[in-house]
Amino acid sequence: MSRQVAARQTSSVDVDDGSAHILHVDMDAFFASVELLDHPELKNQPVAVAYDGPRSVISAANYVARRFGVGSAMPLAMARKRCAGLVVLEPRGHLYRHYNRMVMDIFADITPMVEPISIDEAFLDVSGARRLFGSAGAIAAQLRERMFSETGLTCSIGVAASKYVAKVASTQAKPDGLLIVPASRTLEFLHPLPVSALWGVGAVSAKKLAGLGLDTIGELAETPGRVLERALGAAAARQLSALAQGIDPRTVAALTAKRVEKSISQETTFASDISDPATIERYLLQLSQGVARRLRHANVLSSTIAIKLRAADFATASRSRTLTEPTAVSRTVAEIATDLYRASGLLGRPLRLVGVRAENLHAADGGLAGPDLLWDDEGKWRAADATLDTVESRFGRDAVLPASLLADASLHPDINRKGADGGLDT
Amino acid sequence: MKLHVNRDLLSDAVSFVVKLLPQRTTLPILSGVLLDASGQTLTLSTFDYEVSAQTSVPAEVATAGEVLVSARLLSDISHRLPHEDVTLETNDSTLTITSGQSTFVVYTMPVDEYPKLPTVETWSGEIDAEEFATAVTQVAIAASRDDVTPVLTGVELTVSGDSLTLVATDRYRVALRTVPWTNASDTQEISALIPARTIGEVAKTFSNQGVVSIAITNGTDHDMVAFQAGGKRVTTLLIKGNFPPVTRLLPESVPNFAVVKTTDLIDASRRVGLVLDRESPLRFTFSLDGLLLEAVGSDQAQANEQVEAFLSKDDVVVSMKPQLLIDALSHVHTEYAKLGFTTTDNPNKPGPVLITGQLAKDQVSDDNYKYLLQPNLLLR
Repeated sequence: MSRQVAARQTSSVDVDDGSAHILHVDMDAFFASVELLDHPELKNQPVAVAYDGPRSVISAANYVARRFGVGSAMPLAMARKRCAGLVVLEPRGHLYRHYNRMVMDIFADITPMVEPISIDEAFLDVSGARRLFGSAGAIAAQLRERMFSETGLTCSIGVAASKYVAKVASTQAKPDGLLIVPASRTLEFLHPLPVSALWGVGAVSAKKLAGLGLDTIGELAETPGRVLERALGAAAARQLSALAQGIDPRTVAALTAKRVEKSISQETTFASDISDPATIERYLLQLSQGVARRLRHANVLSSTIAIKLRAADFATASRSRTLTEPTAVSRTVAEIATDLYRASGLLGRPLRLVGVRAENLHAADGGLAGPDLLWDDEGKWRAADATLDTVESRFGRDAVLPASLLADASLHPDINRKGADGGLDT
Repeated sequence: MKLHVNRDLLSDAVSFVVKLLPQRTTLPILSGVLLDASGQTLTLSTFDYEVSAQTSVPAEVATAGEVLVSARLLSDISHRLPHEDVTLETNDSTLTITSGQSTFVVYTMPVDEYPKLPTVETWSGEIDAEEFATAVTQVAIAASRDDVTPVLTGVELTVSGDSLTLVATDRYRVALRTVPWTNASDTQEISALIPARTIGEVAKTFSNQGVVSIAITNGTDHDMVAFQAGGKRVTTLLIKGNFPPVTRLLPESVPNFAVVKTTDLIDASRRVGLVLDRESPLRFTFSLDGLLLEAVGSDQAQANEQVEAFLSKDDVVVSMKPQLLIDALSHVHTEYAKLGFTTTDNPNKPGPVLITGQLAKDQVSDDNYKYLLQPNLLLR
């Protein structure tokens, strides 16, 4: 599409001269590849992962589909125009999370210095692992082999002295490739690439740069700073100049300590607008359960529950309520979310999105036990949640559902996940 | 409308009707006070669809009529009028207030858009005003100030036979008091859940009026309660929802208890509590030697104090938030207070503490005031 992709580049392991120590690992067409593990017969056909709905966009496409010009974030309708034989598979989020954990576990075996960027890519700083496993290039090669043998999935890895160059390198190596860019050859590698390969250059900046006659990173690197400043502003000009020189001081920020979340939220966009309050409330119940479950997993309690309602005209309303006693009880979160919706003034209005958010989080000091109260309305619900959490950890999420969410075909597929796919997800 | 009225009577009457009006009303017209002159009286009314207040004062009415003006403005003006003779007179869309050399011209609001105040058909019964005021203050302290659980922001009033019972709780404590009641008719047992703020104001305002009449309408679309005394009347809608059955949390008898001098324990709790955050509990150790209060767990200071206490049986250690204990002790209205220690199935977890009044070390108070307080988990 708009992003030009230069011809694929790879390198052999012995290119590594010891200067490169950062790996950017990017899973190849992650969702599509995971789905193809279950559908090997579709391997040579164009496959995309997307919900089948009028507003759907492609979550992932395999490389066969990409040859037809089908790519991520493309509306499904357009993808079908470009590729008539496109096989569309429904996303199964729990599977991707499962494989993501396997992938992260492999990374963790190599180094604790792992910075996940998204569900399918991460930076690894292997400077400390080289004594154990050999050069960064050798580590990357072993990692790719191990990835395929343990998960059946392929990945592309860029190895470089900075995060940015490693990321560009992995893009160039795709699919299923390895590209090592030693520090001494960074500029040689970067400069022939189109400016759109620079971080922070989107369609608008690329157009401005093209207006200056700048097509490649090398041309940009040679342009005086003040010329760039006039076109892009001081901050962007400085950043792009640095990147064009291969300078990126950022280090790999490993998630060593467990991150403390500020809020936990879930939201869903409907395939078509929904105005029926009963249906909206079922979505709110489902989202509340997800939020409360994540509160419990993080061992935190929330004092403020909020909902987000986006009307068909994109007008977005938020409502929140602060509680006397912080909670992680599914039923409490759902009751408040429902109350807030009923009092929102949007009852019966067509909505395109609803969301539930828990804010004002505190560590649950005494575990998730109740406060010092004369009687505890939440006690039995807290016990029920604990039981359900145990059931889910053994039989998969949604092995047990509130009756109102059972087998309702009118709900969004991701929302109305059945227990049948259990076992993998915890 | 044209009339003469005494400034002090007017000012008192306006303060009374304005007191229960919310700071901000949903409709501007509801922020008004309705003045109705007829016969030899001026009647003042406020109503915001939830709470109404009405009272009458004697006046020299030249021309009868009705007018609606801003209640707060009339209240401010009437408090500061220079002369005790006040004249109120309406022109087209204004009310002119004249007193001594000063004149106010206040714009009026349309009377016909003002809602009709609720009326009372039959009164349920009567209660001594002073006793009622005391009981309401003793109980309302335990009501929740948090709107999250609306039913807990109320005081539940139940009349049955010749007694009236008030209960309130915020889940940390329950306060209950029963007072004598004169049933007006053959009213069966009936309950009303009344906003704590409103019943508190009513009880205070009516405390020197001798006798308060109460009417409860429950089980209709417009459940309400009305209070009337000395020519003043207040009605309020009831809080919807079921009040939790907290009276059954109150134990019949508690064999293990301690008796302390009320003011001693209040003073000691305040002193030792100084070193704690507002929400932190104090540790109370009762033994044959008396009572030891300890403030621990603060990183800035520690404190302790020994207080005389008479323990009936076993040693007890409980943690309680000082303010919640002081709330109880300052409402028993007796020289001594009795703390009864209940137990739970878990020997390390003390049960709720029942606080009652005690006229002397060995003489139980007969006012039936009960305050049940949930202790906190002990800090080790």
